[in-house]
Amino acid sequence: MLSDDALKNLTADKVVDARGTACPGPLLAAKQKIAEVGPDQVMEVQSTDVGTKRDIPKWCNKMGHEYLGTVEESGYFRIFLKKK
Amino acid sequence: MAKMVIGLFSGSIDRLTAAGVVSSGAAALDMDIEIYVLLMGARAFKKENAATIDELSETPHLKNQFLAGLEKNQVKKWYQFLKDVKELTNVKILICGLAGKIWGGEKTDDFIDLVDDICGVGEYVDSAASADLHLFI
Repeated sequence: MLSDDALKNLTADKVVDARGTACPGPLLAAKQKIAEVGPDQVMEVQSTDVGTKRDIPKWCNKMGHEYLGTVEESGYFRIFLKKK
Repeated sequence: MAKMVIGLFSGSIDRLTAAGVVSSGAAALDMDIEIYVLLMGARAFKKENAATIDELSETPHLKNQFLAGLEKNQVKKWYQFLKDVKELTNVKILICGLAGKIWGGEKTDDFIDLVDDICGVGEYVDSAASADLHLFI
């Protein structure tokens, strides 16, 4: 896990904008786009769906990716993970 | 790979949508999925019915509110969930032979393209018995 400051300054290798989609949209977007990210690269999932804040960390744990943390912006969340 | 089996008895849009959402979660976790479409479910999978199904099995008096909520939140049609899931993981959708006959469908072509085959109940029970997760919807 990284601090909020570290996350805010983190530039992801891949940004997935899933804002506006309801569950399970952001999770499926993460599942689809992780294939385009290399090992140890960082992916950021942007979501307006509150449940995604809990869903992505659980998914990371199950799939073996490293969950780095979530930053709340105005009206949406930025969820960071490192592909393993 | 872990396997989820759904016995999809219901042909109502609330439960069909739930099946689509849950299947999406399973696909995200790389699970194989087998959906056995039972009695009332087979009606929804008929080519002429899939797009127009709008009955609710739960709280039918709230149908308009439910349908409006789906639209407002841009929730996909139940069959679109299943179509997208098929592109993400191994999915088999099988219609129970008896259910098909009840609704006038005896061959795969009588149902929407997502359907892979017609099956017997023995295959469903056997598959459910060996599944990591079995849901009856």
